[in-house]
Amino acid sequence: MLRRGDYLIFLATLLLLPWLYFTLWGDQRAGEYAQILVGGDQQALVSLHQPQTIEVAGALGLSILEILDGKIRFITSACQGKQCIHRGWINLGGEVVSCLPNQVSIAILGGEQRFDAINF
Amino acid sequence: MSEPGYRQILTQPRDHRIAWWAALAITIHIVESALPSPIPGLKLGLANVVVIAVLILYGWRDALWVALLRVLVGSLLIGTFLTPTFILSLTGAVASMLALGVTYYFSRMLPNWAPGALGYSVLAAQAHMLGQFTAAYLLLIPHPALFKLLPVLMTAALVFGVISGMIAAAMIDKVEKRAHSGTSG
Repeated sequence: MLRRGDYLIFLATLLLLPWLYFTLWGDQRAGEYAQILVGGDQQALVSLHQPQTIEVAGALGLSILEILDGKIRFITSACQGKQCIHRGWINLGGEVVSCLPNQVSIAILGGEQRFDAINF
Repeated sequence: MSEPGYRQILTQPRDHRIAWWAALAITIHIVESALPSPIPGLKLGLANVVVIAVLILYGWRDALWVALLRVLVGSLLIGTFLTPTFILSLTGAVASMLALGVTYYFSRMLPNWAPGALGYSVLAAQAHMLGQFTAAYLLLIPHPALFKLLPVLMTAALVFGVISGMIAAAMIDKVEKRAHSGTSG
């Protein structure tokens, strides 16, 4: 009953649909820079494409950040909860990790911003 | 001789045929417009069954007539003529007829690759949805967030295209059997 032309149209549709889901529902483009803030003041603006570890002096002590393959994370922090470390890697535009006790936070710039504003 | 002031318009069998099929499509269109829809733009599109059947039985030109008459008369009867609904309906119909036309005349050159009712129906549903979506984005809601809806709508179009394609195939089967047994449709 089905002809070759039918299969061709089905094939085209089955290729089109995953592509649509992937491009329109996929991750927003990754960010380019990490903005490092201490107590709300920008301490540094670093590229995510340059692997490095950064030491930041916060309110309680040192926080150490690692940049690798376009993403950034807290490695150690002088806080108690270590929530910032458990947050893990971030890389998408608009993502934020913050260590409230130590007042150190990282925000990803560039890419497609996922939030208009964040208050805390 | 006809009386002065009157001119008789002669109708061809083809005109009658198109009128009959268009009437069927319009009826289905109106009945379907009474059904509620969960997402704007999501409709089964059963009237397209008629268009696909006409395309395969009588060719693209007749199908174009039926599709455009359905949009025009259907909107006049429902009361949506020249409203955004009508514009979306028209762009959808035009887009699907363009896609069908290209495929139809292309498959005449390569008869081995000609699709059947199911393939045409899926193609028409996808093109209809894309055309309608483009019109909705450009004219009504020019916001990038609308694109989040597109994959869902296209998936729905695929499902609905398969359903109408199966109905169209059954319909064509019956019409051809009646034509072979001597009675006219």
